[in-house]
Amino acid sequence: MSDPSRDDERELVERAKRDPRQFGALYDRHFQQIYRFVYSRVREQTAAEDVTSEIFMKALKAMPRYQDTGRPFAAWLYQISVNAIADRYRTLRPAQPLDDFHDLSVAGPALEDLASHRDEIRRIWALVEALPIQQRTALVLKFQEDMKIEDIAVAMGKSSGAVKLLIHRGVSRLREEADALRPVE
Amino acid sequence: MTARYDPELDEILQDQELRRLGDLLGAAVRPDPPVDEAFRSGLRRQLMQQAWEMGEGRPSWFRRAFAPPGLAWIGATAGLLLIASVIVFMLTQPAGISTLVVSSSMDGSHGVALQQPILVSFNQPMDHPSTEAAVQIAPATNVTFAWSASSNTLSVLPTSGNLAPNTQYQVTIGSTAKTATGQPLATAQTITFVTQPPAPLPPSPSPTPRAPASPSSLLTGEHQVAPLGGLASSAIQWSADSATVYFVDSKGTLNAAPAKGGDVKMVAPDGVSSPSIAGAGDRLAYIRGGKIEVLTFATGTTVDIATTPAPTLVGWAKDKLLWATADAVYTEGATKPSQLAALPTGSGVTIVSFAPDGAHAAYRQAQKLYLLDLATAKSTPIGQSGALLYGWSPGGTQLMYAGTDSLVISDLQGNTVGTLAGAEASWSAQEAILLGSDTDLYQVRPDGTFSTKLANGTYHMPVWAPNGAAFAFFRGGALWTATAPALPPQPNPLDEASAVVNSFLQARQNNKPDQATAFMDDSGKLAYTTGGLSLVINGDPRFSRFYVLTQVMTGTQPDTATFVVRLVLTHGKLDVSDFEETLTLVRDATTKHFLIDQATAGTHRDLGKGAEVVGVVVAADSIKVTFDSDLDPATVTDGVQVLDSKGKQVDITATYSNRTVTITGLDLKPGSQYKLVVLTTVRDVGGHNVASEYELQLLAPALKNKGNQKTAGGVTASPIPTSPPPAANAS
Repeated sequence: MSDPSRDDERELVERAKRDPRQFGALYDRHFQQIYRFVYSRVREQTAAEDVTSEIFMKALKAMPRYQDTGRPFAAWLYQISVNAIADRYRTLRPAQPLDDFHDLSVAGPALEDLASHRDEIRRIWALVEALPIQQRTALVLKFQEDMKIEDIAVAMGKSSGAVKLLIHRGVSRLREEADALRPVE
Repeated sequence: MTARYDPELDEILQDQELRRLGDLLGAAVRPDPPVDEAFRSGLRRQLMQQAWEMGEGRPSWFRRAFAPPGLAWIGATAGLLLIASVIVFMLTQPAGISTLVVSSSMDGSHGVALQQPILVSFNQPMDHPSTEAAVQIAPATNVTFAWSASSNTLSVLPTSGNLAPNTQYQVTIGSTAKTATGQPLATAQTITFVTQPPAPLPPSPSPTPRAPASPSSLLTGEHQVAPLGGLASSAIQWSADSATVYFVDSKGTLNAAPAKGGDVKMVAPDGVSSPSIAGAGDRLAYIRGGKIEVLTFATGTTVDIATTPAPTLVGWAKDKLLWATADAVYTEGATKPSQLAALPTGSGVTIVSFAPDGAHAAYRQAQKLYLLDLATAKSTPIGQSGALLYGWSPGGTQLMYAGTDSLVISDLQGNTVGTLAGAEASWSAQEAILLGSDTDLYQVRPDGTFSTKLANGTYHMPVWAPNGAAFAFFRGGALWTATAPALPPQPNPLDEASAVVNSFLQARQNNKPDQATAFMDDSGKLAYTTGGLSLVINGDPRFSRFYVLTQVMTGTQPDTATFVVRLVLTHGKLDVSDFEETLTLVRDATTKHFLIDQATAGTHRDLGKGAEVVGVVVAADSIKVTFDSDLDPATVTDGVQVLDSKGKQVDITATYSNRTVTITGLDLKPGSQYKLVVLTTVRDVGGHNVASEYELQLLAPALKNKGNQKTAGGVTASPIPTSPPPAANAS
């Protein structure tokens, strides 16, 4: 059974391939998602806007060459994003502290438990930022962007197996780092 | 706060500790980063400009057909040979027998800009007088001509300075046109294109706060007001001018401090609780010594109100004093307290807050939160056990409370209408919610949009000032104040409705009835199933494009908008007929989205038979009617009429300029129905009368619309929604 939203997207993509002026619908559909992803990586509004502009401009120009591989169109946009952000990272470090994006403000009952849980999440995500870039990218796409392995593979230009390995290694390394940070009792 | 289950991770993270780390990673919530709407729309414009350049600069069909490099080389070689052959052929032929070719880059285009000439190219230098005389334009348009130096390109310029919006133009070069050498055009050639909608209204400057290069905080004037012990947020009150903050310290002393800093002054000594400032800001009530004291600022006098039983909470409904006791809610009567509603029976009932309109109070009983209707004494449970009230919407029609792991916006029936990230919150009169915590401060609209991180740090129990900019908060056992930047203006309801109309019509144009149905409520669906309207328009002529003729906000509770859209039917390349649908959209109470609630359709009208109305802008005192043709001014004054709901002609003054008839001298009653009539006596400059009398039902705009300045002025012939150009025409 076909997925109506995928069919709808496929048609939008086909229209944009035939006529670049139809790209606006794809932009409207994916802007928020891509901007949020970029912002989460560069942590600064002006830089996020620059990179987002670059991504969509590249996507528009490359639209006639886009090949539907059965994966969501967003996976291709993420692929462009990952490369654009990597380019950006070569010259720019994130402007804001990296541990304040994965936020879990809580209120109400059991505040202390929730605060403890939130702190642990923050610590883990801070460790993610110190991982090698490939592992970090795989973890961000999986856990932050909630993408499927096959889509991450498209975005990173790797096989699904390679992505699984990156995630496994990344999380294993997090465990080691977390253990090292834990106070000796 | 549980992690999403992801079966893909079962395979990758089989170790229990790894899986736990995976769950932690997946449990993080991504707040929406600040998005500058001006950036979003600006980038879209850039992309569309680039797209148009790409579209117009696309390689010709044969180049695309021979796109692979090898074939391209072959094609290029063949092309060179062909060109050489043609040159040799032409050089060996007597002058004047080569074929005259007419072309235009605008031919077949949609969305052609209004302020540009119509460009016609010839493959040979042309004779100016005969060519200009051979030009025919439909709709009838007064034009002037200009030629390129080589006489190969003719610019046809509308004398009004621009083309008519939403109009299909047919520019025909008749067979009497001749080349400079006297060779006639073998057959008449026609160029067809469709213009874009009217120019959009200039966007209002966006006050979206832009983060500085190192956005540590978007707040200004942050400073400590007074050190004190633990407090409840209800102990904080702001003066009406937002200049003074009143607070009760840990000793029970009621103090006043200038918000911008200065000496703290004592208002009342020990034992004070529940301070509350009247809506007009002229009085301050509080509980002290088992009675209510009301301080009048102007005179500095205090009046005691003795109550039995003792008051537990005091508040104001605008300027009416309310208080709660252990058994009931009271207000002041003529001679003695007047009971508004008895509290529910049972132990431990505590009134915690009065709604701003005084119609409801919130109370807690056995860890549960309830709403008490003060008119009927009926109770409604709110949220789960442990829910904590954080405040009311400015009008008192909604409230917000802390649920298990989120902040819940609820209506007065206890229905959840939205959720926000869990935090300590304050709801401003300007419809912005502050979300404070021990680590950061956010500002957000009640519907979750425009979430903006204002600062990192501790911002406990924030309380907005009446101006919606200053706020007080607690940090480190002290009271602080700061000023937050304004949120961007709320989305214009008419723009929201317009987006729904656009999506609805695009779905129909794309023959996607299921998608179109999603934009209708039950009543709207009925109009298209049993009301005689066609959701899907098949056959020939085909449904090729649409545009909005008028749009207006006609109601506010709920938000209601009325659109008249025109659906154009095309046979081959030519627009042959159109008809109008009047769509009424109502904002859904639950989803807050506009849905099509009513629809009616007009009769089909043939095109190309006299002037057509292509845009109507209505304000309370004027109506502007734009035609697709240049008109004979002498026929306008008596040919355009406005009738009231009883069919009586309204006295008007009509003036004409540049295809637009401006009707003034009106005093339209908000929400009333009127009819615009264009009589068949109206004639275009080509001498054609309007084919048949045209009538358009109009609703005068509502005077005020919440968060909608744009529509307060009336109906606009919107630049959007309009249908995109068909893909076939773009290649």
